[in-house]
Amino acid sequence: MGIFSNGQNEMTYLFWTTRRDSINNHSLRKEQMTNHYAKSGTFRTKLNQMLFPPRCYGLWAEDEKNAFVGEPVLLSLRRSQATVSYAQSILGASEAQLSTLDNGLRIASEETDHATCTVGLWISVGSRYESEKNNGAGFFLEHLAFKGTKKHSQSALEQAVESMGAHLSTYTSREHTAYYMKTLAKDLPKAVELLSEVVQSSSLSEAEIEQQRGVVLRELEEVEGSLSDVCLDLLHSTAFQGTPLSHSVLGPSENARTFTRQHLVEYINSHYKAPRMVLAAAGGVNHADLVGLAKQYFSGVSFEYQGDAVPVLHPCRFTGSEIRYRDDAMPLAHVAIAVEGAGAANPDVVPLMVANAIIGSYDLTFGGGMNLSSPLARRAAELSLCNSYEAFHTTYSDTGLMGIYFVTDKHKIEDMMHWAQNAWMNVCTTVTESDVARGKNALKASLIGQLNGTTPICDDIGRHILNYGRRIPLAEWDARIDAVTPKVLRDVCIKYIYDKCPAVSAVGPIEQLPDYNRMRSAMYWLRF
Amino acid sequence: MKKIDALIVVTDQGGCALTPGGPIIGKWRQARLDVISRVPSSGITRSPSSYANCSHALKMLSVVARAGTVSPYLRAACLAVAGPLSAVSPAAVVKKDTVLLDANKPLLCGHCARTGPTVSSRLNAVAGVRFAHTDIRVPDFSVYRRPEVMDPKKSAQDSSDARKVFSYLMTGSTAVLGVYAAKTVVTQFISSMSASADVLALSKIEIKLSDIPEGKNMTFKWRGKPLFVRHRTEKEIATEASVNLSELRDPQHDKDRVTNPKWVIVIGVCTHLGCVPIANAGEYGGYYCPCHGSHYDASGRIRKGPAPLNLEVPYYEFPDDETVIVG
Repeated sequence: MGIFSNGQNEMTYLFWTTRRDSINNHSLRKEQMTNHYAKSGTFRTKLNQMLFPPRCYGLWAEDEKNAFVGEPVLLSLRRSQATVSYAQSILGASEAQLSTLDNGLRIASEETDHATCTVGLWISVGSRYESEKNNGAGFFLEHLAFKGTKKHSQSALEQAVESMGAHLSTYTSREHTAYYMKTLAKDLPKAVELLSEVVQSSSLSEAEIEQQRGVVLRELEEVEGSLSDVCLDLLHSTAFQGTPLSHSVLGPSENARTFTRQHLVEYINSHYKAPRMVLAAAGGVNHADLVGLAKQYFSGVSFEYQGDAVPVLHPCRFTGSEIRYRDDAMPLAHVAIAVEGAGAANPDVVPLMVANAIIGSYDLTFGGGMNLSSPLARRAAELSLCNSYEAFHTTYSDTGLMGIYFVTDKHKIEDMMHWAQNAWMNVCTTVTESDVARGKNALKASLIGQLNGTTPICDDIGRHILNYGRRIPLAEWDARIDAVTPKVLRDVCIKYIYDKCPAVSAVGPIEQLPDYNRMRSAMYWLRF
Repeated sequence: MKKIDALIVVTDQGGCALTPGGPIIGKWRQARLDVISRVPSSGITRSPSSYANCSHALKMLSVVARAGTVSPYLRAACLAVAGPLSAVSPAAVVKKDTVLLDANKPLLCGHCARTGPTVSSRLNAVAGVRFAHTDIRVPDFSVYRRPEVMDPKKSAQDSSDARKVFSYLMTGSTAVLGVYAAKTVVTQFISSMSASADVLALSKIEIKLSDIPEGKNMTFKWRGKPLFVRHRTEKEIATEASVNLSELRDPQHDKDRVTNPKWVIVIGVCTHLGCVPIANAGEYGGYYCPCHGSHYDASGRIRKGPAPLNLEVPYYEFPDDETVIVG
């Protein structure tokens, strides 16, 4: 038996034992794993070297150590003898537990053995629920969220949060709003209390509203500099024109100038209802504790609407259209082209995500050059087609936008658009087994890799409960992804992409962007 | 509060880049920009951007320093859109007295040297300068919409196939009709080069048979060649019918050469070298070519002489007993 350390109280890097049961597998942390080799012979030679077939290693020497680590036998995880395989780890991932309060508020948490936790409130309200008149109310409210509650003034609130060393954050999107707090696991009760105050009894003082008005206006100005946001906002505004999804989260400046306390109170009263809320947590939280806290602090959340005015989400019509914001003074053109995609709960989402994984993304900083796996990325690198591109799929509850967004020089727009649409055509017609396998692997890796902390996990839980009513476990994602074959992929892509009218938005020096009819014609192939 | 050396480019709707109304006189102005400070370590943070999990990066306004000229290009592609009603100040301090413009740069559209960026008004009557991209209103195109997609609360996917089928059907049939019309026009033009009506009229000849007595041969000009129409007697018919084919240089039975045995219609061009034979001459009771002495019988077959073939029989038909149309 040997433990490789200096004999001091250091972390053990390698625990070597001949007895199988001396290591308790369940006590292993995520970054640890065991390799179990049966039928290994003598381990120590006379000279105290490691005998490990096919040769001995003297581990005091650096180069021998490296050779030992790189030993192919050591590295080969023979499945029958490795303790934790990919499939096992997926299945063994802890599941989220779900409960509901009497007023309809849902509570979901996943217990991991982190010492920290993220707990938050996810509410299904966003700019999609706003009208023309109050578009931007959610965003404005977000600015006022942490400016004091009935029980704590702003400084008291900040003091409370900072004294715990916690992070209190919020975000608003088109369909969801989240208030969440990252804190130590032991501070969960205080965190839930503060969150409940922020959400239920924000003070919304007039003075603060006026001050934040200026901040909001300046932020509107500032976001003009983030051209990717501008481009994608314009994409929504044209793709879903005439529907609530066209509203940007930020709202028009006119509304920002004229919001009053009344608007915000109305907004809260119409949308912050318990059945639309989820209290989600991840990390070192115990579900029963969390439910108790929720009962204590969130039982008062209303679940009835005034005048029975329950907001209903109507389907949003997609319009194939374009919006061009030409400004030849800008150095780069930002272009996005999208078709209507699948809603969050639609099973077609998975093949579409695989298709996007096949198309991939690219950035000038990618060093792969001609060896990048995505054909479009190879082209982009080879012909210097763009500064960056990415394939995206934004899902809403019943619809989505699936597209490609790229940033390029003004002389390359036409070429890049041609090759991007060519990539779409490929995925609809000639995608091969190896492409699909690569896409599936990339998608699995990204889905799992995103969950690398309590906050992403908590966000995942919150959004899943709002979108699907349950947390979709990784094993299910895995199974759904595995079910995608080239034929399935082609069929789904043809359903959503082939010969459909796209929505295009472009910002910058876009003279070269082809006419809409030409882009529309590139959505099918005569040869097919 | 951070002080940032900055060039702020103001754009109006026309897409022209304007320099701010304040002057850049050879050196960069100090611009004060209130930034929303991030407290990254702990405390309260907001994610002001509309997209979940995207971090709000403070855009660094970079300085492009070229002495004396105003460069509209920013490295970080950061723009501030200003309205004269608000907000470029306090971001940029505008000096109102002298405006020094680069003489080489033409005045950009909408730029008044004295007052700076102009207010533009739009037909939609939402007045004022666009402050941010969220102020852009997509116009209502209902006038152009098909009935199935008028309702914004209905998904467009349901009617998508029907609309496409209609469009393609219309396009397809228009294409077919168009091709047909084009073909018609083209053939009309090309066929104008073919024979005209008067020429075509010459291609047929109508002959009244009652004008030709029995035993007589009449000659007509047809298609530039002589046409022999012979009214044969019974004796001639019998004689010709009983000729032994093995005697003939170009064996053809009489009934193969005539439709109605009473009438023999042949082209009067000798098959030897093209002279016109004389009717009712020669040793066989038919025709005799005087040029080289070819004898034809009453059926127009060569019997003696240098000609190799029988006289040519054209196409003819008898619409009634009195007339024959040849050609």
